[in-house]
Amino acid sequence: MLKRFLWAGLVAVLSVAVVGTSAATTGKGDASKARAQVLRIAIGSEPPSLDPGLATDTTSANIIYNIMEPLVKLGPLPKLRPIPTAAASWRVRGANVTINLRRNVRWSNGKPVTAQDYVWSWLRTISPELGADYAYQFFGIKGAEAYNSCKSNCGALRAKVGVKAAGRYTLRVQLTSPQPWFVQQLSHHSFLPVHRATVEKYGNKWTEPANIVTDGPFKLAAWRHDASLTLVKNTKWRNAKSVRLNRIEHSIIVDGGTAANAFQAGNVDVNSNTLPAADVPKWRKTGLLKIYKALGTYYYGFNVKNITDVNQRRAMAFAIDRYQITKYITQTGQVPAKGFTPPGITGGPTIVKHAFLPARAQRAKARAFMAKVRNPKKAIKLYMNNAPNHVKIATAVQAFWKELGLDVTLRVIEWKQYLQFLGPPPPSDVDVYRLGWIYDFPDAYNGLVLWTCDSGNNNTNWCNKKFDGLLDKATKTSSDARRTLIYQQAEDLISSPKGQLPIMPIYWYTFQALVKNYVKGFFINVQDNWDYTKVSMR
Amino acid sequence: MLKFIVRRIAWTIPVILLVILMTFLMMRLIKGNPFQRTERPVTESTQRALERKYHLDQPWYIQYAYYVEGVFTADLGLSLQFPDRTVNDIIKDTFPVSLRLGGFAMLFAIVFGVPLGIIAALKQNTIADYSAMAVVNAGYALPNFLVATLLIYFFAVKWRHHTPFPTNGWTGPASWVLPTLALGHAPMTQLARIVRGSMLETLQQDYIRTAKAKGLRWRRVVGLHVLRNSLIPAVTAAGPLLGYLIAGSFIVETIFGIPGIGRYFINSVSSRDYSVTMGITVLLSIIIITANLVVDILYGFLDPRTRDVRT
Repeated sequence: MLKRFLWAGLVAVLSVAVVGTSAATTGKGDASKARAQVLRIAIGSEPPSLDPGLATDTTSANIIYNIMEPLVKLGPLPKLRPIPTAAASWRVRGANVTINLRRNVRWSNGKPVTAQDYVWSWLRTISPELGADYAYQFFGIKGAEAYNSCKSNCGALRAKVGVKAAGRYTLRVQLTSPQPWFVQQLSHHSFLPVHRATVEKYGNKWTEPANIVTDGPFKLAAWRHDASLTLVKNTKWRNAKSVRLNRIEHSIIVDGGTAANAFQAGNVDVNSNTLPAADVPKWRKTGLLKIYKALGTYYYGFNVKNITDVNQRRAMAFAIDRYQITKYITQTGQVPAKGFTPPGITGGPTIVKHAFLPARAQRAKARAFMAKVRNPKKAIKLYMNNAPNHVKIATAVQAFWKELGLDVTLRVIEWKQYLQFLGPPPPSDVDVYRLGWIYDFPDAYNGLVLWTCDSGNNNTNWCNKKFDGLLDKATKTSSDARRTLIYQQAEDLISSPKGQLPIMPIYWYTFQALVKNYVKGFFINVQDNWDYTKVSMR
Repeated sequence: MLKFIVRRIAWTIPVILLVILMTFLMMRLIKGNPFQRTERPVTESTQRALERKYHLDQPWYIQYAYYVEGVFTADLGLSLQFPDRTVNDIIKDTFPVSLRLGGFAMLFAIVFGVPLGIIAALKQNTIADYSAMAVVNAGYALPNFLVATLLIYFFAVKWRHHTPFPTNGWTGPASWVLPTLALGHAPMTQLARIVRGSMLETLQQDYIRTAKAKGLRWRRVVGLHVLRNSLIPAVTAAGPLLGYLIAGSFIVETIFGIPGIGRYFINSVSSRDYSVTMGITVLLSIIIITANLVVDILYGFLDPRTRDVRT
């Protein structure tokens, strides 16, 4: 009896293997896929939400961008000028922005996209009921913050929010101050409209393929949660003729090594997942590893209540070899940061003109700075969250600072606890901490505002009224050239020779992807977004 | 027997309540804001709105009560990390995959592990025994992430033109083979060792000598007397093993990019997705309790003495 059972089991296992063999051999043929204009891409996580109001991560944003059409898209570096897409044109008069919509943008159910769609969607995201993380993107709009934080009388506050439809295709926005970056900011996914009737009918299931209504160049055809997500060309999109790809198959692969294997074996054409650090040199040699500029800064913050002497902070900044960190640890084209504002931002090179942090360590200068410190803090506690590269960088920094006679202890904390632990204000135990910043919109304001006194990201205890005044002034200065100079003054207060150095930028981020040679036009923009309408297979 | 089963099932309820309470308290003890995902601070109003939505603004015993109600009405609530999905959705999507992978691995372990153990025991101290045990010990020593990585490197990357196996995914029979081997090899070696050990012990029993002495054919002695009595320890081990295979496949699922539940079990803790962690914990405790129950019932069939005592 038992023996018979064993045999049956053995036969079952073998037959599964055999069936598998024959099933899989039929599914090959890369060349034909290229001819069919099908792109296969590995993405690093299940998109947490395809609802533009609720999505907070770039994986979701990249799907949303390609199934919906933003009012504007960002143009090429260095200007990153807004390019009209769903908007036909706009007029900015101080704090009043009027946007004229294109009349040929249609929902996938055939209905036109109107100004009223935008008003309803934006108010939905601002509303306290939705609890959207990105509600704060709208706080530049008059009355938005008050409505978002209302406890009573919410209906009246909702009516007062400065976004109105003036006719079917005209959107009027009233800002709290001129905010010259507002039109660029509209390229962010949180400003995309959603289809009201669909959202109301299906609730939190409206983003499922069977329910979703969108207005972009591609449509969501299938979504096997945690496994794959397929987009197909929307032949009724207003500019469908310009789109080459017929289908995009996303494989959700969480592990970086697995994604690289899939790329190597030819199971995907593009791998947007992070590469394991050990594999980077190998892939660099193949020429398939593409590196793109990013708007973001990796930095160490000082608790200025503990490291009180600016000369000690300068010494510590000059002792670090940023070049070695980017060349040997991060390895993917990151740029040693001489100041905080990344060069990709409008006016970036001018803003950091006086910033003086060296790429290579300057040990003599560092020691000279240290000599001026009357009462140096010798025992330093350096905090970071738990990720291999952060620990590697910190270990290098520990060695650099040892040369200054500092005794550095590394403290590693799990991410969520770390965020809560840092404050602000930070616990007195923290001397130096690691964080990074990726810009939400391409204006230096979005990064520099972190260092204002009341900022929820200012974990340094540094507070400078002059700095706050400059940033306030920037929100009211429309001219790009004049605003750039204001940012330069603000940046000077941080990272120039006369600056206070409450933070010590280490490098400016880049984005990377593995791209096969036959994929043309794949490009990651400074905000980590890619645009499938520009991609084709050869 | 029926009375025994009913009593065991009734006992699962307090056990599950305790599991919920412990998980619930432990999750609350780890700090961290479930709603802050990036460096961007969450505005006060957003935080308040979300806490209200997920009942996190209530005292802990009310939250616990909500949760217990959810468990017994099979509504495990909304995920905190995936705002458009409920825990029920996540389990419905991912659990069948893990169950299948665990089942395949278990099948593999039994089909190959048990015969290996039998051969090794029957041919004790021969070349067959040594080679079987060499395979088993080597397999036992290799961790599954290493086996998984090696399998992918050779079968899915290096020899990809000669083998049908993909590097990742769970899309059809060809994609099931490598993960099954990676997950199943450890329990396979475990079963083989257990079966070998208990067979050797049984073979020395008096009743086996008696059976041989009374002229029974050797095959019948092994098939009827030796095997049946030697399998009890293996069955004991198989229950928890099945639980481990379903829950513990996290590493294999990650390396092979398999959309199973193991990933959620780990990720939900690090993202403080309370409802997902709780939902999966409850589900797994039900599975392990059920597996142990099945084992106890199987005992009854393999060893009539236990049946008499318990009914």
